[in-house]
Amino acid sequence: MALYRKHNGRRSARTVRNAAIVLVLLLFAAATLFPIYFMIISSFGDPVEAAAMSYSLWPDKVSFASYKFFMDFSPHSLRWIGNSAIVAASVMITNVVFASLAGYAFSRVRFKGRSVLFSMLLVAMMVPYQVTQVPLYILIVNTFQIQNTYGALILPGVVTVYNIFLAKQFMSTIPGEILECAKVEGCNQLQIYFRIVLPLSKTVLAVMAILTFMDSWNTFFWPFLVTNTMDMQTIQVGLKNFRFANTTYFSPMMAGATISALPMFVLFFSLQKYFLEGVTVGAVKG
Amino acid sequence: MAITQTVSSGKKRRIRGDGAWGYAFIAVALLGYALFTAYPVISAFFISFQEYKPLGSEYVGFDNYSATFRDPLFWKSIRNTIVYTILTVPVALALSFAIAILILPLKKRLQTTFKAIYYLPVVASGVAMSVVWLWIFDPLPAGIFNRLISIVGAPNQNWLGASGTAMFSLVIMAWLSSHGASIIIYLAALLGVDESYYEAADLDGATFLQKLWHIVIPFLKPTTLFLLVTGVIGSFQVFQNAYLMTGGGPDNATTMVGLLIFNNAFKYFEYGKAAAQSLVLALLIAGISMFQFKFLGKDVEY
Amino acid sequence: MTRKAQVLASVLALTVSMTALAACSSNNKNNGASPGGSQSPSGSASADAGSSGGKDTITALLPPVSSGFQDRFEQISKDFNAKYPNLTLKIEPASWEDMTQKLDTQVNAGSPPDIAFIGSDGISKYLQQGMLMDITDAVDSNTYDDFDQAPIAYMKKGEGLYGFPAYMEVHALGGNRQFLEDAGIDWKKVQKEGWTFDEFREAIHKGVVKDGDVTKRYGFVFANSGVTSRDYLNILIKNAGMPSAFTTDLKYAYTSKNFLEVLKDVRLLIDDGSMPKELGSIDAGKRWNMFLTGQTMITGKGLATFENSANKNNEKIDANDGSAVKGSIKVDYIVLPVPTFLGQPPMSSTVVDGYVTFRGKKEPTPEHKANIVKAAYFLASGQVAATTNNELFAAHITQSGRKAAESMTVNRNPDNVAAVETLLSHASPARPDIPVELGAKSIKLEDEVIIPKMQALLANEIKPEDMYEAVKAAAIKTFGEDGVVKD
Repeated sequence: MALYRKHNGRRSARTVRNAAIVLVLLLFAAATLFPIYFMIISSFGDPVEAAAMSYSLWPDKVSFASYKFFMDFSPHSLRWIGNSAIVAASVMITNVVFASLAGYAFSRVRFKGRSVLFSMLLVAMMVPYQVTQVPLYILIVNTFQIQNTYGALILPGVVTVYNIFLAKQFMSTIPGEILECAKVEGCNQLQIYFRIVLPLSKTVLAVMAILTFMDSWNTFFWPFLVTNTMDMQTIQVGLKNFRFANTTYFSPMMAGATISALPMFVLFFSLQKYFLEGVTVGAVKG
Repeated sequence: MAITQTVSSGKKRRIRGDGAWGYAFIAVALLGYALFTAYPVISAFFISFQEYKPLGSEYVGFDNYSATFRDPLFWKSIRNTIVYTILTVPVALALSFAIAILILPLKKRLQTTFKAIYYLPVVASGVAMSVVWLWIFDPLPAGIFNRLISIVGAPNQNWLGASGTAMFSLVIMAWLSSHGASIIIYLAALLGVDESYYEAADLDGATFLQKLWHIVIPFLKPTTLFLLVTGVIGSFQVFQNAYLMTGGGPDNATTMVGLLIFNNAFKYFEYGKAAAQSLVLALLIAGISMFQFKFLGKDVEY
Repeated sequence: MTRKAQVLASVLALTVSMTALAACSSNNKNNGASPGGSQSPSGSASADAGSSGGKDTITALLPPVSSGFQDRFEQISKDFNAKYPNLTLKIEPASWEDMTQKLDTQVNAGSPPDIAFIGSDGISKYLQQGMLMDITDAVDSNTYDDFDQAPIAYMKKGEGLYGFPAYMEVHALGGNRQFLEDAGIDWKKVQKEGWTFDEFREAIHKGVVKDGDVTKRYGFVFANSGVTSRDYLNILIKNAGMPSAFTTDLKYAYTSKNFLEVLKDVRLLIDDGSMPKELGSIDAGKRWNMFLTGQTMITGKGLATFENSANKNNEKIDANDGSAVKGSIKVDYIVLPVPTFLGQPPMSSTVVDGYVTFRGKKEPTPEHKANIVKAAYFLASGQVAATTNNELFAAHITQSGRKAAESMTVNRNPDNVAAVETLLSHASPARPDIPVELGAKSIKLEDEVIIPKMQALLANEIKPEDMYEAVKAAAIKTFGEDGVVKD
C-alpha cells in the first residue's frame, strides 16, 4: 500500500504507527460492536419473557436453551432459514448480473436518452417506499396473483437502482484508454464487458453481492406482506413471531437473530479475498 | 444529472453504433424497474390527486398538495429531517473514509478482522439493535449513557424523552452504527487505485497528505458521490429509528417526514395525502441530488 | 447485426413503456373488476360458485391473543372443518405490532382477509374506508344473544354490527401487596370503594423509599414511552367526567376545565417525587421490570393477565434456577382501581377486542357472508373463547364460553377477581353513536397534538396550561367553536 510511506529500514517507526492506528480502530470498534456483543450474550440466557432482560454486561450463565427453544418453537424454523437463503441468493445473483450490465451501459456505452433514463431511475429511488408499497402489493397480489410464492418474494428486488448506481460509479473510474484500445482491436461491447470490465470490477461486484444478500436477508416487511403460511415465511418474519401479546421471548429472539446473522459471516469470509485484493488496471495489464 | 463523462467528445464518433448494446444491457434492469419501481411511483402520482378509497377514489385536484403545504407539522418534520441529515450524513461519510484509510496500511489478517468488525452491526436485525439502544439511552441512572456521563459528574439525562436531547440521541445512534456498508464500499474503491499513481507521486517526493489530496480524494469522487446521494436519500426517508425509538416524540421533536408519511398512509388512511407528501419529498431530494451531482460530478475522469 | 440489435432494443424499450402505461391504467380503471375482490382468491371464487353448502374458504388474520393461541390454530381449523365439512378456515398468524401494518396495506389495496382480530376502536377507521362488512342480517338471534350486551355493543357503529367481541378488559393499576401494606394502605377497601386523587396522591407518596437523594422505590410508575402515553391520559380522564372524547350531544369533551385539572395532577405526582421525572421514556417492559424488582409500589396500566406473569415469576424464584427476572422479588399482584378526579364517578377504561369482519372490492355473496359469520362466531364463543380468555385471566363474555370454561381451573386471587368484577360494573359504555368522521378527526387530533404535548408535559418542558390551550385551539380549529365543550 504505497499510500503510506514504506518506512523501509525503520521498522520501529512502522510498528509504532500501526499500533496507534490499531488503537484508534479498536476504540471505534468497541462502540460499534457493543450491540452485537449484547445480542450474543443475551442469546445464551434462558427463554423467559422480556422483563427478565438482565441488562448486565457479563452473561450470568451460558445456556443453549434459547437456541433449542427457537428450533422447537416452530416446525418451520429451519425452513425459514432455507427460504431466506433461496430468496437472498436469487436476488443477489440477478443483481450482480443485471445491475453490473446496466451500470456499465450507463457509465461507458453511449446511447440516446442515457442520462434521461438514468435520472428517471434515480428519481424513482427518492419516492419513499411507504407509498409505493400499496401499488406494488396490488400488482403482485391482485394482478399477478402470486402471493405466497418465491416469485413474489424475489421479483420486486431483481435489480435495484442502488446497485445500478453503485456499478456505474465504479465503472466510471476504469480508464477510458483501455476501453478505446479494445474497440480499436475490434472487440464489440459484449466482449469488452466480459474481457475487460468484468475482471476489473471483481471488487465492486463482491461488495454488491454481499450488500444485496444482506439487505434481502434482513428485509422484513415485504416478505411479511406477501406470505400467508408459515412454510413460506423468511427467517425475519419467523423471528417476529417470538413477540407475544405483552411479552417478548427475549433470549430466543436474540438466539434467532444470532442464527440469522451466521450466513452473512460465512458469505463475508468466503468473499473476503475479493475485498482484500483490489483489482487495478496495472494488475490486469501486467 | 448524469455524471459528466470526460470520455471526451472527440472520441464520440468512434463509439457510434453502441446504442443497441446500451439498450440491450439495460433491458432487464429497465423492465424490472418499469414494473416494480416506476409503476408504483406512477400509481402514487395519480393517487396524490385523489381522495383514495379502495372501493373507488375521488378526484380532488390539488387539495392534497395544498393541505400538505398548509400543514405546520409537515414543515416541522421537513426541518427535523434536514437537521438530522446534515448532522448524520457528512459525519458518517467522513468517519467511513477515515476508517477505510486507517485500515489500509495494516497486515491483511488485521484488515480482514477490522472489516468484519465494522461490517457486523449491519448484519444484526433491527429489532435486536433497537432493544440494545433503548437500554443505552435508558433514562434512569442505570442506563449506559447515564452511567458514562455520571463518571464526569454530569447530571442524569432523559435522552429520548426530552426535546433537547431526543434528536441528538438519534444522531449519536446513527454515528455509532450503520456505516458498515460505506466502509466496505470505500475500501473497495481504495483498492482500485493503481499503484503507479503512488509511485509517480513518490518520485515527486509527495507527502502522505499530498497523496491523499491529489490522488486518493479525486479517485474516490465517484464513490463519495454515490455514498452522499444514497446517504441523503436514505436519511430523508429515515423512518425506522424514529418509529422504534421515540415514535416521533417528545412534542414531535423527532417526527421525520418518513414517519409522517407512514402515519398518513396507514394510521389515518389519508393515502392520497401521503402520496402527495412523498412526491414533494422526492422533488426535494431530487433538487438536493442535482446540486450534489453538479458540485461533485465534475472531473471524474483523469 | 448491429441493426438487428438496434431494432430489438427499441422493441424492448417500447415494451417497457407500454407495460408501464398498461399497468397504470389497469389500476385506475379496473378497480371494480380486479380479480382480488375478496382476500382469499380461492375463497371468493368458490363463494361465487356456491349455492348454500358449497365449498368455501374463510381467511382470518390473527395475532397471538394469548400465549397458547397461535399454537392452537391448526386444531381450531380442524375443529371448524369438522363442524362445517364444506368450509375451510385458513388462519394467518402475525405478531401484534406487525399485523396492523399488514391489515392496513391489505385494506388500502382493497383485499383484506375475511376476519381480522383487532381492537374495537379500529372499527371506525376501516369503516370509513368502506371495507367492513355489516353482518347484522346474517346473525340469528341465538348467536347474538350468546354475547353479553356491553361488549357486543362495542362492535357496533351506527346501526351496523361488524364482528364479534372476544373479551372485555379493564385497564386498571397493579400493586405490590407487601409494599401497599407497608405503606399502610388498605388495599381491600380501595378495591371495593375506589379512591380519590388526593387519597391516591398521599398513598403513593408513602410508597416512596429513598436512600439519600436517590429514589430506591417509586410510588407509581406508568408506561409512557412513545405512544403509550395515550393510555395514561385516557385512563385518568375517564375518571374525571370524560368517559369519551365526545359528550352525548357529540361535542368534543377535552376542552373541559376538568381536562386541565387532570393535567395539573399529572405534573403534581411527578413533582412530588412519587413518580420518576423520566416517566416519558419508560416503556412497558421497563416498568414491568421495575415492578418485579421492587422499584415501584404500583404500576400501570395493569391487565388481569399480569397476575399470571407475576405468579410465574414467583414460581421461578422458588425454583431458584436462575431463570427468574434478575434482581426480582416475590410479588403478590393486587388489582387496583384508577383514582377519581374532582368528585366524578369512577369509570373504568375498557378495551374490547374481537373478530372483525371485512369485505373486499366485490360485494360478498350472502353465502360467503353467512360462512364468515359462522367462522367469526366459532372463534369468539365456546371452547376457543373459553381457553383463550382463561389464559388471559379475562372474564368470559359469552354464555357458551362460560359453559365451556366450567371444567377449566384458573389459579387467581379471589380478591382480584372480585375487584375486576367491580371495575367492569362501571365500565365505560360503547359509543356506536359517534359518527365515523368525527371519530377519525379526534384520533388525528390525539396523535398530532395531545400525545406530543403530553410527552412535553411529562418531560417538564411545558406547563399544563400550555398543553390545555394547545389542545383547545386545535379542537376549535377541527370541530368549530360550537363543536366543543365550554365550561
